[in-house]
Amino acid sequence: MQAASNCLSRAEVILNLRRPFLAIYDHAFHFIGGAQKYGLTLISALQDQFDVTILANREVRHKDFQDWYNLDLSKCRIKVIKLPYYEKKGAAHLDPAFITRKVENPFHLISRESGEYDIFVNNSMNEMVYPLSNVSVLICHFPERRPKSYFYADRYTNVVYNSRYTAEWIEKKWKLTPHHHIYPPVDMESGVPEFPKKKQILSVARFEPEGTKRQLEMIEAFLRLSLEWPEIVRGWRFILAGGSHPNNRYLTRLEEMVGKNPGQNIELKINLPVSELKSLYRDSTLFWHLCGVKHEDPGEVEHFGMTTVEAMQNGLVPLVYDGGGLREIVDHGVNGFRVRSGAELLESSVRLLEGPEIIRQMSRAAREKSQLYTRARFEASVNTLFDRIFKNYITP
Amino acid sequence: MEDLAREIQRLRAELEKKKEEIQDLRKLVNKEIDRDFPLDLDAFSEKELDTFIRELISSSKDFTETKPDLKPIKSHRKSIGKPIVLLKRILLETTFDNLELFLDKQMQFNRRSVDLGRALFLRLRVEKERMEKVEERIIACEESLVILKGKLGDLRAGLEEMKGRTGGHF
Repeated sequence: MQAASNCLSRAEVILNLRRPFLAIYDHAFHFIGGAQKYGLTLISALQDQFDVTILANREVRHKDFQDWYNLDLSKCRIKVIKLPYYEKKGAAHLDPAFITRKVENPFHLISRESGEYDIFVNNSMNEMVYPLSNVSVLICHFPERRPKSYFYADRYTNVVYNSRYTAEWIEKKWKLTPHHHIYPPVDMESGVPEFPKKKQILSVARFEPEGTKRQLEMIEAFLRLSLEWPEIVRGWRFILAGGSHPNNRYLTRLEEMVGKNPGQNIELKINLPVSELKSLYRDSTLFWHLCGVKHEDPGEVEHFGMTTVEAMQNGLVPLVYDGGGLREIVDHGVNGFRVRSGAELLESSVRLLEGPEIIRQMSRAAREKSQLYTRARFEASVNTLFDRIFKNYITP
Repeated sequence: MEDLAREIQRLRAELEKKKEEIQDLRKLVNKEIDRDFPLDLDAFSEKELDTFIRELISSSKDFTETKPDLKPIKSHRKSIGKPIVLLKRILLETTFDNLELFLDKQMQFNRRSVDLGRALFLRLRVEKERMEKVEERIIACEESLVILKGKLGDLRAGLEEMKGRTGGHF
């Protein structure tokens, strides 16, 4: 039945009776997130070529996308499909991890919907949607779950991944070779000249309640630096910016730690608007990012590292954990440093703080490398991929 | 071309109507879509193993006893259904009472196995905490080494400078 329907759909497009229908789904479009930005930027590049529908599970508006990501998606239709299973629970976050074979797959409503389109794009970090369309694209930001209940990642005709690290784990966890590599789009350039910068070290990362972004370890490192190298660190500030939900005990712990060391020039900035974040990037010199240190699961390491690229686009020299997607972004000793421990972070930081010329060189190299991850490059890769997909689709 | 377009539309409308009547996705695609996947414990991360062990121990308690599930005993026969149900109940209850003698040792073994699993898991947790403390001490030592290295470098630089000023004589 679906095969017959797909045949007719394809015939309509081949005979030029209409534009191809493309849908993109994400169960978290109503939240701000890097993965959501990836998917929406992708369709922003395609909305002239395809008739695009954005599938969401909760109410969301075009204005939200404009405000959150600076994306004009007014040419796209928004269709909200509520899932009764989650509506009954009143769940804000539609977590697929709770679904076992003991319950009927609530995402099959989306599976059925996918059959109405020529191309279905699943941007969802959710392998429980079975694609019924002629062409299907699964965008994997990281394979969080192992194949268990309702696993359909291998049913997609195309699997797109955001980093080689993600690809490696798709192969290990899903025993699947993904098809296309497209780095995420990053566009945080503040458009100001290289120097002068302030004596400022910046960290930008969510304040996760589990502490996986390691802000505690970075504060400890800065305090150690200040204690043992007071002459070098004099005048330097350490600013940690990031998003947080209310009642975050980890954040409270950090605030207490900063409160106990008032003279140490450490500041926490929570839920900043983009304009203020851009100012921080513009003014800062070094960027610290230790997410991945002491990890117990590959998912706790940065799958890519968007904030590191944002920092590099503004000429900050990155000192980041040596693992995950960050290994693809930062070339050790060339445009930054990759470290495995607090000790290496201290060593590399001292080397930079003692050598302003090294900072200058690495800053230039960082800006240059960051150009590989611009929105323009992303859109070019997307257009290349979807041109190929479309060409194959209309060739009988 | 217009005729073709109209015909395609008509066929689509027909198909959409038929699709709406089919609730089961498997019938829509005419094949089985779900599979079972073997456990790949060797590939589990530390976190995944922790979660797996915890869930296993928690659910094992339900399997220590070997009593059968208390399903309602039924018969599909209309006229002699009731006597058959009575006979089934008597048979089950008498058989199970005798089986309990044989299964008593099995049940004891089950209970001890679950307790052993729990004890091992607790021991593992203690060892893990100990390892974490050791790792923290190593991290602190590494940082101290970096600091010492830095201070040695400063001392060396200072000595070289003095040497230069005094022509090698102190």
